[in-house]
Amino acid sequence: MNYAHLHLLLNHVPVIGSIVGFGLFLISFFGKNEDLRKSSYIIFAAVALVTIPAFLSGFGAQQMIKGPGVSDALINRHEGSALLSLWFMELTGAIALVGLWQSHTTAPPPRWNVSAVMLFSILTVVLMARTGNTGGDIRHPELRPGAEATAPEPTTITEGTFGAFIHKFEPDPDKFSDAMTFSKWWWTFMMAAHFLGLILIVGTVGLFDARIMGFLKQLPIAPLHRLLPWGLAGLAVNIVTGLLAFAGRPENYIFSIALWLKILALLLLGLNAAAFYLTNVFGEVENLGAGEDAPISAKLIAASSLFLWFAVITMGRYIQPLTDTLLGSN
Amino acid sequence: MAVPLIFSTIEQSGISRWLRESQSIFGFYFILLFHTIGMSLVVGANAVVDLRILGVAKDIPLHPLKRLFAIMWTGLGINVTTGLLLLTAYPTKALTNPDFYIKLSFIGLAVFTMYKLNVQVFGDSSLSEAAMVAKGKIMAKWSLVFWIGAVGSGRLLSETARYFFYGHPAGG
Repeated sequence: MNYAHLHLLLNHVPVIGSIVGFGLFLISFFGKNEDLRKSSYIIFAAVALVTIPAFLSGFGAQQMIKGPGVSDALINRHEGSALLSLWFMELTGAIALVGLWQSHTTAPPPRWNVSAVMLFSILTVVLMARTGNTGGDIRHPELRPGAEATAPEPTTITEGTFGAFIHKFEPDPDKFSDAMTFSKWWWTFMMAAHFLGLILIVGTVGLFDARIMGFLKQLPIAPLHRLLPWGLAGLAVNIVTGLLAFAGRPENYIFSIALWLKILALLLLGLNAAAFYLTNVFGEVENLGAGEDAPISAKLIAASSLFLWFAVITMGRYIQPLTDTLLGSN
Repeated sequence: MAVPLIFSTIEQSGISRWLRESQSIFGFYFILLFHTIGMSLVVGANAVVDLRILGVAKDIPLHPLKRLFAIMWTGLGINVTTGLLLLTAYPTKALTNPDFYIKLSFIGLAVFTMYKLNVQVFGDSSLSEAAMVAKGKIMAKWSLVFWIGAVGSGRLLSETARYFFYGHPAGG
């Protein structure tokens, strides 16, 4: 297993996943099917989560194949495309999560939410298709339009009308990296925001988990649960600042085993949340009042949430000292 | 201004050198990890109490939140301990950086506010919720400002250091 394997394993998820999610969403929209719409929202949120390691692994794959025989121009174009589609995928996932939250209290969610998911999921499908295509071009010369499979690696790229249009919005990867690191004030701002996000997550999700496990039993569960959007806002801040910092200095992160363990813990937290909300566990604890005990299934999920967040923080702290724990070449 | 020689003496001590140079995973980064955990406990718990007083999730009963102060003081204890160890590892780096004193000032103000909130608002169980909110509102606002200042200036430390060690100016 190396970065190229990992990238190939993960990079089809955003492309196919956004299409599947969008398809379900369209059917639910015209068929007015609430359950189907919820399913499509869950898919968008899950795909947005998996898109993070798909994006990160691309930098590792690039390090591996860089050199003679591979076009830097094609790699740059793919990277710029990914730097655009990534944000639309994350935004679609975030809006879907907001919609899932809202439809819990007032079903169905407000119309702005449905319209926003419609708009951003269409854009995401288009941009992800472009990212997939530009990525495929790097290693599959037979796919390049108008090119012989034996043609030499291109140093300049001629885009079609459509590609040229999207390309106008795609950042130049090198300039994007420089923009993240040129000012120590901007860098510090991102790092401070990352810590404030962490504080919000620990303060709200940690408190909720602790209550379910039986601490602070005088507190009823339902109002504590209403604090969770603050924790999710913290998570959103941290996904954005984390990805921006990574794009600024990918070489500082990509070869650290701690980064990948942190991402693994985040993915497991996604599964953990699914086990909580998509089963009847949440329903069993939702209305527990002051002094009431949560069932063992909820306690187990709360304990694994606390453990996994602890792992996320620990691995985040150990990224730096473990910078060279993974080899770039194999 | 000359850098006091005692910083060099501390840096040469066994514990300071071990903290800086040990390759053990329980060395410097382990201390830093618990400095981060302690921060998330003290600031996270305090922020939730502040937000509740300022009107978020109003149906959380206020009185039981008193128990969160135990978490805050525990987090503070962890951070005073780990902070002193970090200071032992890099005395020159920290104490020659003006930002370090800004960070300590913010923490001092935040902890003073936390103490006042603990004693004046949550220490009096005869107060009604409305009275607690009225009494705690200004403290809660400043508490958030001070903690954001502390975290921000803390993260700025590595960018503003003037020395790495005694006699080794940063960037020189």
